Amino acid sequence: MSRATEIERLYDEHAQPLFAFLLNFTRDEADTRDVLQEIFVKLAREPELLDDVREERAFLIRLAHNAAIDLMRRRGTREKTKENFAAEAVSPFAATADPDEKFFRDELADALGELPEEQRAVVHLKLWEGLTFEKIAAALEIPPNTAASRYRYGLDKLRGRLRPLYEEIK
Amino acid sequence: MNEFEQKLSRQSLRKIPGEWRAEILANCRGSKVEGRAQEQFWSSTFVSRLSTVFWPHPKAWAALAAVWILIFAVDFSMRDKSPMVAEKVSPPSPEIIAELKKEHLMYAELIGARDDHDADRSKLRVPSPRTERVGILTA
Repeated sequence: MSRATEIERLYDEHAQPLFAFLLNFTRDEADTRDVLQEIFVKLAREPELLDDVREERAFLIRLAHNAAIDLMRRRGTREKTKENFAAEAVSPFAATADPDEKFFRDELADALGELPEEQRAVVHLKLWEGLTFEKIAAALEIPPNTAASRYRYGLDKLRGRLRPLYEEIK
Repeated sequence: MNEFEQKLSRQSLRKIPGEWRAEILANCRGSKVEGRAQEQFWSSTFVSRLSTVFWPHPKAWAALAAVWILIFAVDFSMRDKSPMVAEKVSPPSPEIIAELKKEHLMYAELIGARDDHDADRSKLRVPSPRTERVGILTA
């Protein structure tokens, strides 16, 4: 398989989940695009990076996570994201015609945005990628216990924030 | 997963914009070409730097290289000869061996005499028993 087709395959298999993860993590579409491009350009230049990789998805999430952190540090958007989240945040959820669902998704997007980034990353990978704590730990380069505790803290916060709404629409 | 977690995980996520695929993959192709161009640039820069160093005085550099080659050649030829020199050394003649034996005996005699002398001195130094010394003092 040529390099070009290999990159196309990687893109077709992994770009969508990476996009969702990065959008939830950065809450900025332009940053998400920059990081995605950085990852795929890096893989095009250094295809040997994937030679000994057993879990492509976990490896790419790790690249994405590290690149996103670097980008946010470079731009100093960490504090900006926290302070101006409500005004600037981009929802990671798809639009829906159902008004109840739309309201719930908006509230969920806000609640996720209030989580610390490290908890948000774990919650995303567990809920929307269905990864085990071991795989999340490998992807984010943290111990599995840390991944589990971050998930529990994050989920408790979401539950506390969304409980009234959830009870109402359940 | 409890009911709350299932409710959250059912919320569908945004799709990646379709136009990104072509743009990102084009950038990947561009980056590969750029990478090759950079490699060519560095190799050509290296060659040009070498030529700026060597070009102004090519005869001088050639002479220096010839001197170094000569030094290496002499060094290698010397290394090759050194074991042969060792092999050519003839064994000592019987006269020389006899002379060496005489010297050896003479030295042995000298050393033996010195040992006797030292033994005499040590005999003289041996102190008398303590009881005798005490008797001398009390007498």
